[in-house]
Amino acid sequence: MRRLILVLLVLVALFWLFPLLMALLNSFKTRAELFTNIIAFPDAWNLDNYVRSFKRMNYVRSLINTIIIAAGGISGIILFSAMAGWVLCRVKTRLSLFLFSAFVFSMLIPFHAIMIPLYQVARLLRLSNSLGGMGVIYSGLGVGMAVFMYHGFVKTIPLELEDAASIDGCSGAGVFFRVVFPLLLPITATISIMNVLWMWNDFLLPLIMLRNSRKYTLLLSTNMLFGQYGSDWPAILSALILTVIPVLLIYAVLQKQIIKGIVDGALKG
Amino acid sequence: MKTNPNIRVLLFAAPALLVFIAIKLVPVILGMGYSLTNWNGIDPSWRYVGIDNFVEIFTRDAHFWTAMVFTIRYSLFVVILLNVLALGLALAIESQRRTRGLFRTIFYLPNMISMIIGGYMWNFIFTQVVYHFSDNWGWMFFDQSWIGDPTRSFYAILTVAVWGGAGYLMVIYIAALQSVPQVLQEAATIDGAGSIRRFFSVTLPMIKQAFTICLFISLNNAFQVFDVVFALTGGGPGRSTQVVAINIYEEAFARSNRFGYATAKSTVLFAVLLAVTAVQLWIMKRREEEL
Amino acid sequence: MKKTAIVAVMVILLAAVAYGGGRTEASQAAPADRNVTLNVMMSFPRFTEQMEAYFDQFREKMLAERGIDVTIVLEMPSSEQYNNILQTRLSSNDAPDLFTLHASADLPTYQKAGYLADLSDQPLAATLYPNVRETVSIDGKVYAVPFESTVWGYLYNKDIFEAAGLEPADTLDEMKRVVEVLKANGHTPFLLAFQEQWVPQLMTALALGGKVSGHVPDWVERMYANNGSYREVEDVLDIIELIMANGTPRAMETGSEQGAANFANGRAAMFVQGTWSAESILSVNPNIRIGVGALPVNNDPSCTMVNLATTTSLAVYSRTPEREMALALANYILDQEASSALYESLKFNPVATVHQFDQFPWAEDASAYVAAGRAYRDLVLPPAVTDEQGKLLQSLYVNQIDREDFIRIMDQTFAAANSAR
Repeated sequence: MRRLILVLLVLVALFWLFPLLMALLNSFKTRAELFTNIIAFPDAWNLDNYVRSFKRMNYVRSLINTIIIAAGGISGIILFSAMAGWVLCRVKTRLSLFLFSAFVFSMLIPFHAIMIPLYQVARLLRLSNSLGGMGVIYSGLGVGMAVFMYHGFVKTIPLELEDAASIDGCSGAGVFFRVVFPLLLPITATISIMNVLWMWNDFLLPLIMLRNSRKYTLLLSTNMLFGQYGSDWPAILSALILTVIPVLLIYAVLQKQIIKGIVDGALKG
Repeated sequence: MKTNPNIRVLLFAAPALLVFIAIKLVPVILGMGYSLTNWNGIDPSWRYVGIDNFVEIFTRDAHFWTAMVFTIRYSLFVVILLNVLALGLALAIESQRRTRGLFRTIFYLPNMISMIIGGYMWNFIFTQVVYHFSDNWGWMFFDQSWIGDPTRSFYAILTVAVWGGAGYLMVIYIAALQSVPQVLQEAATIDGAGSIRRFFSVTLPMIKQAFTICLFISLNNAFQVFDVVFALTGGGPGRSTQVVAINIYEEAFARSNRFGYATAKSTVLFAVLLAVTAVQLWIMKRREEEL
Repeated sequence: MKKTAIVAVMVILLAAVAYGGGRTEASQAAPADRNVTLNVMMSFPRFTEQMEAYFDQFREKMLAERGIDVTIVLEMPSSEQYNNILQTRLSSNDAPDLFTLHASADLPTYQKAGYLADLSDQPLAATLYPNVRETVSIDGKVYAVPFESTVWGYLYNKDIFEAAGLEPADTLDEMKRVVEVLKANGHTPFLLAFQEQWVPQLMTALALGGKVSGHVPDWVERMYANNGSYREVEDVLDIIELIMANGTPRAMETGSEQGAANFANGRAAMFVQGTWSAESILSVNPNIRIGVGALPVNNDPSCTMVNLATTTSLAVYSRTPEREMALALANYILDQEASSALYESLKFNPVATVHQFDQFPWAEDASAYVAAGRAYRDLVLPPAVTDEQGKLLQSLYVNQIDREDFIRIMDQTFAAANSAR
């Protein structure tokens, strides 16, 4: 029985890896090679496509841009939501319940509903076409979910610790930053992982907000190449592979943390 | 020195509230405002049309409702497929010893990748690679249109959506399964319960919470689906795979340029989402209480 | 392990922020009196490299002649996303200084909204060929620099046609014969690339244009007045059905670029596609000899005409803060010395007297139709109607709808577009 299941698992796993493997194999080929045999290994592990895509995408710069945006966004989300989530959980008033519900319901707003008005607001606040501004926008889009998760996590922390700290003379802010915030580390890791992945893989928002190609994220740079490459699949595939390399590297290193974070995010949120 | 608790609430929630209001609330309100106008998204001159847009949606816009029906059908299929497959994979992986980690890594992999990128990779599979099977290997099953046929493109979209989403639900189920106390399983075995019986009477009730969450997540994502369809079929052929989000996107930005009307549609989508979620939470809550 | 990982990630993030924050824009050492930044948005990413090179030339020229250092930020979204992005920018008072528009489909809307600068007094306007000038003018004023001005019909492979002893057909019956002969010679008559809706839509553009111009010249006007029907132009579906029934397989899996590549490789003898794809085709097979034919609609040759159109044109934003440089750039597109090389490398037709290069061979074919009076100007239909035609042709191709559905839905769509105006 276990053997049978193993065989099934292997088959499903092959199916799962198939698109990635196909993309990888064919990214080394020339157009003619791809045309003659799409399944075969390339004749030579030719890096021409990669070199070209790497240059055309402005790879290093795009990568750094993406990192800056994600770093900015995550700092905002973590700090703002931890404070809000904690206070909304600990202080039970009608106002706090109302605010909490507002944050939770905001999770349901479809992005397309606010796309153009959001851009107008971003323009007004000088957040558009700026990497830092993108961080602020992501904070705004991400706090709803994060507040919800912090709120849920705070519930599980015993109140005694905080009480003890305030008896010791800690102010509200002191209690939060010295006592509560460190205790939130597990959920903070979770929220960071979830949100960084989301920002890293987001497409439509940067597409609208960033106009200067020097500020493009990896996905935008790749997307730009689709138009330029036309039907040159090997070149397109090389750009796709280049785009997924950083996440796959991070995944290889931090796999356990990422999966744990995702699971905690869903189960404890 | 007991200050008003509301002041404390406001103080600590202020930063989050501020970005939330600026980035989400104001645009939502602006959007609702636009939904009462005939603004085309380009022309600065527009006029207030009251609820005309909503009247049109409910009385004359067949495309929107076709898209809505398609989205509901898609959501139904994808939610069931995702959850069945994710739970199945979770159980299968848990039954293995040494290969657990490896399989979990592989199945979760697509979740690390943007669905735009994943969609393009599958586009390559469906427009190029499958025909290698039929043309060179004679597997004639593949010799048909996968993303250009009204029926099969639905399956193609489901395939990619499941590929992209199952790993996420799977890791949630794995965690839930691991939290089922071994003692319970053993007790049931001693009582003479077979493995199927054990699954239904011990495991399933214990992972009810995970099930609720997975349903919630998958249904919400399914209703707003955009990337997969956009990268694979763009809603075509014709409108046969047009989901609500694409219908709205086209109304606002593609050739019809009716931005006010499109925001009215997103308001309707928002309302439907709210209703679906409310019903879902209500049912789940009652179920959980019953246990 | 976990702690190390978290610390490592934080260090990377911090370093990235520091890098981003500490880096200032690279300063230019050039001795310029003034620095100007122009934002340009264009809709043909295929030509990014050529345009960047051209803008570099412009920059040098400005630096030398006027002592102004112009930095050009060029944005080239893919064509599906172009309208979306441009629209978002314009409605948020963040318009690019120059942007491309489809001359017949989009120019009037944007002009009416007041976004376009009047270019009539600019040197470029004086150099335009009169017939081209008309395509970028509204009420006699020039609002854009024409990029692609083209006379187009369907493309055919001259070698295949000559080998089979064929001439482009003038009537539907002749076309049917051409199809039979091609098939008898082992060729697929038509290349179908229907993945992107705008490509099948070209069939309606051509067939409708011919039929309306030849037989029912007041049709468009009456349609706008809710006093017409697609029933009157039903024959356009005859040729479309003929094309669909005699085309290459896997049409829905073939994008426009893939289609161009397949046509270049001789997979089919004809391709309903404009001359704007010539560059793509020739880049795959430089030896192919492309011809342009007028698409027959019925058996009346007076309906068999080519389409005169300016598709992509470059407009200047009416409220640009850098008016002087924006206009200078617009004029530079039709620069006496530089422009010819640009247009020729993009395989665009000459649009102005500054263009000193020979017509491309396919353009000569097309011009012959024009000389014979067999050309019409692009019909101006509501964008929603054009879009729906493309969608319905996909549906027609996959047998989801039939002719009757097509006529009924198009009539409804046109009426809806009228009431939305």
